[in-house]
Amino acid sequence: MTPFRRRREGLRLTLGGHERSVLRDLVEQLVAVVSGGDQDDPAVARLLPTGYADDAEAAEEFRRFTSDDLVERKLHNARLVLAALDPGAGEEPVLDDAAQQSWLRTLTDLRLTIGARLGVTAEGFPPGDDPQVLVLQDVYDWLGYVQESLVRSLR
Amino acid sequence: MRQPLPLATWHAGRMTSTLEETRVGTGADPRLLSASDVPWVTLVWDDPVNLMSYVSYVFRSYFGFGVREAERLMMQVHTGGKAVVATGSREEMERHVVAMHDYGLWATVAKADE
Repeated sequence: MTPFRRRREGLRLTLGGHERSVLRDLVEQLVAVVSGGDQDDPAVARLLPTGYADDAEAAEEFRRFTSDDLVERKLHNARLVLAALDPGAGEEPVLDDAAQQSWLRTLTDLRLTIGARLGVTAEGFPPGDDPQVLVLQDVYDWLGYVQESLVRSLR
Repeated sequence: MRQPLPLATWHAGRMTSTLEETRVGTGADPRLLSASDVPWVTLVWDDPVNLMSYVSYVFRSYFGFGVREAERLMMQVHTGGKAVVATGSREEMERHVVAMHDYGLWATVAKADE
């Protein structure tokens, strides 16, 4: 099902019920990862990357001054996405501009997190046949489709 | 997921206010970018996760680049590993880098001559 539809009244979320519940589960896990803030977690390191590549002191200062706000905004975005995914939000909730921007960022954060878990590189997924990993690879690809659909609907 | 990008629907009205105080991109007049007053740049790095269409969208909607320039810089990131997307004061560059991290792109601040 097309994830989003542009209507006169705005962008409507048209994801199916099952897809919504999968996405809700993933976003809740993302909230846990971001709130956990474990810097040794490669996913967290990618979500909150260094701001200076070759200057450890400047990087540390930059992190000290920006990291809390960045975490707060990521959690805020995730909460707006969860609100639209809530069964109480209705059949095809309208996403306003702020919600659309939160969706863009949260879908990105999810893909970055899963990409880190899967060890995605420029060559794609590492080889393997663990069924759980294969499922996560499908989820990652599906999120890419949802994200692409959203980006296209914003033009 | 690899369809061609529609190229004509971006509107300049969406340009962010950050552009008013920052020279953006690599096409700026070099006489205005002498090392003493604008020695910092914002670098965006390639990563294996973000979609090309999304990176291009971020460059258009945040920096206010036209479609062609956004696509050019996105391809530079993609094929060259990184691209300079803004030049200016250190504070401005740090603001851009935070905004890029907010979008999920990996960006860093660097001295212009590095």
